[in-house]
Amino acid sequence: MTDSGGKPVLTLKDLSIEFPTPQGIVKAVKSLSLTVHLGRRVGFIGESGSGKTTTALGIMQMLAEPGRISGGRIDLGGTDVLGLSDEQMRLTRLSRIAYIPQGAMNSLNPVMRVENQLWDGVVAHEGKIDPDELKRRSGEALASVGLGAHVGRLYPHELSGGMKQRVCIALGMILGPELIIADEPTSALDVVTQRQVMLTLKDVQTRIGSGLILIGHDMGLMTQSVDELAVLKDGVLVEHGTVRQIIESPQHPYTQDLISSVPLVGGDSFLNPSTRAAAPERDSREPLLRFENVSKVYGEVTALHPVSFTLQGDTPQIISIVGQSGSGKSTMGSIMLGFNPPSTGRVLFEGHDLLRINAAETLKFRKNIQAVFQDPYACFNPFYRVRHALRYPFKRFGLARDEAHIQAKMEEACGAVGLDPDLVLPRYPHQLSGGQRQRLIVARALMLSPKLLIADEPVSMVDASLRATILSNIYDLKDKYGISILYITHDLATAYHVSDYVMVLFKGHVVEAGPPKQVIGDPQHPYTQLLINSIPWPDLHRSWGRDEAGWDPTAEEARAAEAPPKLRGNVPGFDLVVQ
Amino acid sequence: MTDAPLTRADRRLQRRMRRFDNPWLNPKLLWGIGLLLGIVALGLIGRMLWNLDLVFTGSATLKLPPVGFENLRRQPGVWDHPLGTDGSGRDMLALIVIGAPNSLFVGLMASLIGMGTGIVLGFTAGFVGGRTDDVIRVLSDVMITIPPLLILVVFQSAFGDVSLTMMALLIAGFVWQSPTRLIRAQVLSMRQSGYVQMAQLSGAPTHHIMFREMLPNLVPYLFGSFIANVTTSIVTAVGLEVLGLGPQRIPTLGRTIYEAINAGALIQNLWWWWGIPTILLAVMFIGLLLINLGLDEVSNPRLRRLS
Repeated sequence: MTDSGGKPVLTLKDLSIEFPTPQGIVKAVKSLSLTVHLGRRVGFIGESGSGKTTTALGIMQMLAEPGRISGGRIDLGGTDVLGLSDEQMRLTRLSRIAYIPQGAMNSLNPVMRVENQLWDGVVAHEGKIDPDELKRRSGEALASVGLGAHVGRLYPHELSGGMKQRVCIALGMILGPELIIADEPTSALDVVTQRQVMLTLKDVQTRIGSGLILIGHDMGLMTQSVDELAVLKDGVLVEHGTVRQIIESPQHPYTQDLISSVPLVGGDSFLNPSTRAAAPERDSREPLLRFENVSKVYGEVTALHPVSFTLQGDTPQIISIVGQSGSGKSTMGSIMLGFNPPSTGRVLFEGHDLLRINAAETLKFRKNIQAVFQDPYACFNPFYRVRHALRYPFKRFGLARDEAHIQAKMEEACGAVGLDPDLVLPRYPHQLSGGQRQRLIVARALMLSPKLLIADEPVSMVDASLRATILSNIYDLKDKYGISILYITHDLATAYHVSDYVMVLFKGHVVEAGPPKQVIGDPQHPYTQLLINSIPWPDLHRSWGRDEAGWDPTAEEARAAEAPPKLRGNVPGFDLVVQ
Repeated sequence: MTDAPLTRADRRLQRRMRRFDNPWLNPKLLWGIGLLLGIVALGLIGRMLWNLDLVFTGSATLKLPPVGFENLRRQPGVWDHPLGTDGSGRDMLALIVIGAPNSLFVGLMASLIGMGTGIVLGFTAGFVGGRTDDVIRVLSDVMITIPPLLILVVFQSAFGDVSLTMMALLIAGFVWQSPTRLIRAQVLSMRQSGYVQMAQLSGAPTHHIMFREMLPNLVPYLFGSFIANVTTSIVTAVGLEVLGLGPQRIPTLGRTIYEAINAGALIQNLWWWWGIPTILLAVMFIGLLLINLGLDEVSNPRLRRLS
């Protein structure tokens, strides 16, 4: 690990990139110097806006207008990239540096067959080539990423997300470049697919012996995938070294933050549970939420198989629903909110059927079940200042006495989630960061003090360092305000820490359920085991993606589908029945 | 963030970008609005200062040229009729003072009615869905394929002499489809958006979601669509008038051109008869085009993101 591999393939010297804006010039990258060697994998890690992608685009000479390289040198294996003409640069791209863009799954042309897209790149660089030869080469490229030759004849919409991502890798390596830049290649994929794609990428990179720059924000994934780490913050390279150095003795406080903000299963909790408040008096003896044989069918597809549970709600609890995309967890959330009628069964809220309540009761029900959604950017109407989102429901539910009362409540709620009300409330949504917006949504829920809060992936779209803050905001709601919470997530580590009870969903079935220490700490069902083994931990002693030639997620999933559900211990106040 | 001396190119770029800070101060938009207001002002001020009785047949000498020109009979233009007179002795200035606002009025009126219908139908289709949506969608798709002029020629011939309002109503029947489609598509995508779900969670009634949450975000699209419709409506109206259809007793720009062509103004070199209304129509269309281009820049998020 210590030897620095082959000769340098990419040398950045004092690279600076700037964007002129009406408010003045924004320096996106500030004199960055770095060397990537052949055969080495270098990770660029940092939060959104730290200049990772801008650096990569600068190397490719693909900066969006009006961005420009204002200083420094880029040396690619002896060639001065900045000195190349447009035509020379065009020939350099793909043949010498390949770029796998962010969200590569949307970068494939939907109206072209996969192999035609592979041929495009070859023909653009090598001129006219015999069709049989082209076919041989595209087949080879697809085989090297573990896809059969028949995939070449398919259109992108016929492939899964992981397959599309692997096609993009095949596209990147087909000309055998010296350097591959992969920009968050797995950000939209679930952990199992992520592991498979990363294994493929590392395998391909080792085979062609190129350098690899992997851009990402996930410390765990980086630890498991690269040799060297470069930590960027606000366009400055704050720390650079081998993964071992960085993980074991991070020097810069920002790096230390990044590492400690990754929640670990079994590690220290990032929460500081305050003393439990007395649960608020409930005016009903009926259970807070009750699912009676609820299922959801969309045409041929069963999104949720019949499930029954009762959440008593006398003591506030956090119930986590964990699963990958397509497991039915979000369907479950929207059924609870009454946005989506169940195909069979009934959902009872304090004994009332959600679908049969009258208009007056609807308002009461709405006040008592609130939600925090995944995408903080979409949750605010861009037309109004953000205070509208807090003020409107408060007035609508008849909680407001007068304007001063609303104002006081809004300020109190903002304070509770750590926002300065004078700074935040009079702004428009686009002037706030994702984290601020998400905390405002939590503040909104807090103002209404519902009995049940449904948090659907509340932190999946905010930066890692903010996740812990927002989750502890939500967690505090439980104890301070006595709100029961259903936490829907794909992140097992956070579920481990925040919840009192965990349900693992797989293709619409509950496969394992129980207290988190048992379910996540010591999984018994093959699917839960698969999920937990696929999480990349920032821990060098765990092998994730090394020596795993025989690893076949499809077979493991098939095995998981056979296995009966495992119900582990119970917690008082929540009863689950699985057919 | 700021620093370092700026090059000249930078400063120019900055100036250009500063304009995006307040997108409504778009020069194209302002020029376009200016041109249209000019035509409205011509109508208003003209009504106050000019003797409008001059629009009647035979109120002046026939075929007088504008001031500073001579006609084929070597008659010079006179200040009593600064823009000349037409073949039946009507004063050109009085004709356009009355006629130009009329053409604009028909366009605006037809477009307003079309927009109103479009908003109602679009929201209904997007919100109610199901059978209602099918009916509205198919209807508007079918209507969009029918060339309006063809149908209107038949209609107008059947009606004979129509009033300006009637004409606007008839044209409105052909400009509601594209706003309907636009709004329906936007409503369908907005229904899934986070802020509409948030409003539902807030117990918002349907009319609040429609008009307070969705409609404000549609305003730029609606404006653009409205202006495009005004253009279409005026083109249609003028087209009908030039064919000799439309209102018979009210002076409009299109009717003036029709009469000029009918009386052989082209052969007799009476260029002011058909030329002046044409120039006014051109000003109107350029104004509308500029407004449309300006609004496009205002509502285009790619340009706004620069600021």
